[in-house]
Amino acid sequence: MPMVLLNCDKDIPEREKHIYLKVDGEDTRDFLPISNAPTIPGTLSERGCAFCGAKLVIGGVLKDTIQMVHGPIGCAYDTWHTKRYPSDNGHFQMKYVWSTDMKESHIVFGGDKRLEKAIHEAFDEMPHIKRMIVYTTCPTALIGDDVKAVVKRVMEARPDTDIFTCECPGFAGVSQSKGHHVLNIGWVNEKVGTVEPEVTSPYTINFIGDYNIQGDTQLLQQYWDKLGIQVIAHFTGNANYDDLRAMHRAQLNVVNCARSAGYIANELKKRYGIPRLDIDSWGFNYMAEGIRKVCAFFGIEEKGEALIAEEYAKWKPQLDWYKERLKGTKMAIWTGGPRLWHWTKSVEDDLGVQVVAMSSKFGHQEDFEKVIARGQSGTYYVDDGNELEFFEIIDLVKPDVIFTGPRVGELVKKLHIPYVNGHAYHNGPYMGFEGFVNLARDMYNAVHNPLLKLAATDIRGETTTRFLEAAE
Amino acid sequence: MGCEVISKERVGVINPMYDCQPAGAQYAGIGVKDCIPLVHGGQGCTMFVRLLFAQHFKENFDIASTSLHEDSAVFGGHQRIIDGVLTLARRYPELRVIPLITTCSTEIIGDDIEGNIGKANAALKKEFPGRKIHVVPVHTPSFKASQVGGYAECMQAIIKTICDHKVAPTGKLNVFPGWVNPGDVVLLKHYFKEMGVDATIFMDTEDFDSPMLPDKSIHTHGRTTVEDIKHASGAVASLALAKYEGGSSADYLKSEFEVPSHIVSTPYGIANTDAMLRKVSEITGKPIPDSLVKERGIALDALQDLAHMFFADKKVALFGHPDLVIGLAEFCLEVEMKPVLMLLGDDNSRYKKDPRILALKDKCNWDMEVVCNADLWELEKRALDKDYGIDLIMGHSKGRYVAIDANIPMVRVGFPTFDRAGLYRHPTMGYRGAMLLGETIANTLFTHMEYTKDREWLLNTW
Ligand code: SF4
Ligand code: SF4
Repeated sequence: MPMVLLNCDKDIPEREKHIYLKVDGEDTRDFLPISNAPTIPGTLSERGCAFCGAKLVIGGVLKDTIQMVHGPIGCAYDTWHTKRYPSDNGHFQMKYVWSTDMKESHIVFGGDKRLEKAIHEAFDEMPHIKRMIVYTTCPTALIGDDVKAVVKRVMEARPDTDIFTCECPGFAGVSQSKGHHVLNIGWVNEKVGTVEPEVTSPYTINFIGDYNIQGDTQLLQQYWDKLGIQVIAHFTGNANYDDLRAMHRAQLNVVNCARSAGYIANELKKRYGIPRLDIDSWGFNYMAEGIRKVCAFFGIEEKGEALIAEEYAKWKPQLDWYKERLKGTKMAIWTGGPRLWHWTKSVEDDLGVQVVAMSSKFGHQEDFEKVIARGQSGTYYVDDGNELEFFEIIDLVKPDVIFTGPRVGELVKKLHIPYVNGHAYHNGPYMGFEGFVNLARDMYNAVHNPLLKLAATDIRGETTTRFLEAAE
Repeated sequence: MGCEVISKERVGVINPMYDCQPAGAQYAGIGVKDCIPLVHGGQGCTMFVRLLFAQHFKENFDIASTSLHEDSAVFGGHQRIIDGVLTLARRYPELRVIPLITTCSTEIIGDDIEGNIGKANAALKKEFPGRKIHVVPVHTPSFKASQVGGYAECMQAIIKTICDHKVAPTGKLNVFPGWVNPGDVVLLKHYFKEMGVDATIFMDTEDFDSPMLPDKSIHTHGRTTVEDIKHASGAVASLALAKYEGGSSADYLKSEFEVPSHIVSTPYGIANTDAMLRKVSEITGKPIPDSLVKERGIALDALQDLAHMFFADKKVALFGHPDLVIGLAEFCLEVEMKPVLMLLGDDNSRYKKDPRILALKDKCNWDMEVVCNADLWELEKRALDKDYGIDLIMGHSKGRYVAIDANIPMVRVGFPTFDRAGLYRHPTMGYRGAMLLGETIANTLFTHMEYTKDREWLLNTW
């Protein structure tokens, strides 16, 4: 009975198909949880919308681009101040959001004119900015505004600007995942190939599916610099809009997040013949393996080995210090999807940590194939987990720490379980060698927080308080 | 010289001050006990609002979504409403109230909310014969109003649906504080207790500041019960402390059940608090006790140390909810600061006629701007303008980068204040709130003086 019907799900028995308990010796392919399927209304699912997948996750990372959200105010307000992706130009992308602030009359008579005006205003107010992405939202998709026509008019009137349209209302698809797809495909269709990069190295890559969370991109950039590899485009951490228009000129696409950005790598392969190389950037073993693969592609293996040796010398002792103390820690991961398979084996190999439960908001079948193959037996694999399921699974597996978002983190705090921000990190970056030491440190500090013991103490019970002599 | 009330000229928004109507409705909804709001729309309209509340309160709140997907956007989301209600009822046996909150998309699609609630009610009755669950229709398309209006709308809808008949007199006072922090609710309760007044707070959010307990039980939820709401019709009076957030509910109880309605100035600052307590005394016949005279005196004593020495003539920019901004401006005048800029974040046409704003006009002999339908770009442009000369910004965390980039000290107040620890716990209202606010302003200015080496030696002796 590898698929599990939890007690809290007895009234929504279809959830059984989404929860898998791995058992030794099973052929997991027979028991893949259903994923990327519609959410059951009223379940307190964790999922967001497709618009957020496009705007908040990918497009909004660009550091020189106006993010114009065509819709009523909430869609813009809500996708602002929820991310930690800095940039090297003063964090323009985290400071601002733009909205056409639709009112009732525009819903009735159409919002095209308002959009056009808002775009012009935005460029006028910030004259140094010349790039923009316009997003539709549920309301504007429903009323059917012709956004592309508006954008065309503006670009004709302002020849020094470039605007990308992302038509991805929140209701498209079943989760944020659809938004990743729409933006990937739209971008490669319309923008890739429209700018020629300045090539400065014989080795060029695109680094795809990394969003510079707490500086991930900038940390990995040090490695590429040391290896003499030019990154034509980071998709999209710390990136400029025009970098991404030049993606066709890289020799290799190195993909970290296959879920949110595998699509564009596939398209670049199809259209421009650029090979795709998937790596994991979290964890020592994985990062070393990734560097080796990239270097092998370019025939610069010695450089790669030198870098790995240098990084190991610098960071491995610290990692081992934490490993010694984290061994046997039980961890749960409740995030979007890919980090499940990125992390489960790396924390096991590098830190001796056992991942006992994982839930994905928007993973697809191949994500579950990967994570179940990499993950342990006795572990729960959940698609689109909801709040009551989390409580029940916590009871079953008793994790010592949960990597998840801040809201769920606040919830499990009451159960005396510490959380580490699995989306935006506590004190990152977490990628690369240094990054994984950061992750280990944050996990260690979470698990060893003395407050947790105090929280479990009931002062009404018998006194076990030890008085220090000096205090008596 | 004098006060000018204008509106933002741009049509678009750069950095909004308020979230959308459904966000406000969700906030009102979570103030009810045994209640999970069900938001009818795309998942984003709920997920982000839950995150926003978690950011502000550092707590989790349960809010459900009907998870509108493409098919429902085309064919209507009727079945998802009914499924959502039933799923909640089945999995949460304590549940008694489900505000069904519409969003932009479901209002555009035109889903028949009342009709579907009728169907859901019939299904509930059949499946749970002994159990009453109130499903409340809340119409909150964002293109009609902001989070401020959404809060008021949901509050009124909950009362309309649950408080459906006139009950026997309860001797209680209905209090509508508006969208405030648990710290304010605790303070108000304390005042009513001191005065011997039996008051019901709509909504009682005291437990939005909830403990970690040895038994791991979770108590993060609203405390206003179905019974409290039903009994609102038998109260001696309603007291609304926020015109734009609670006024409509008080007025509704008046027109429907003849409960006298009093809408007072929001009790920010000393004089507004005085007026509120006098009003409570007048309504209930209970005298203002010595204990509150003492609390008032302590606040005055503290503020007196700050006002003309440190605060006088400081130019202040204020942004946030309308009742808050107006109240803060009045407080500023009490402590000799000059509110020069007030930003109100939506286009409610009533602001321009608000008697409190008109009264401010009379009081100021300097240039003051009130910008309606404002965004934070309006603030940023003025903050970076040296001639405008803003000395202090007061508002919520969404304006943090304006203060950081313009290097102007900022005091966090309102919602959300996620970039400062624990603010939700402290009152801003009342004497204590005025005192804490004054002291926070002072300490913020002092820190700024030290970091910028601007007469930091002043504090070498104080
Ligand atoms: S569509 Fe949703 S998030 Fe956007 S403004 Fe409307 S209700 Fe708010
Ligand atoms: S309206 Fe649609 S696009 Fe906007 S937040 Fe809601 S689900 Fe997302």
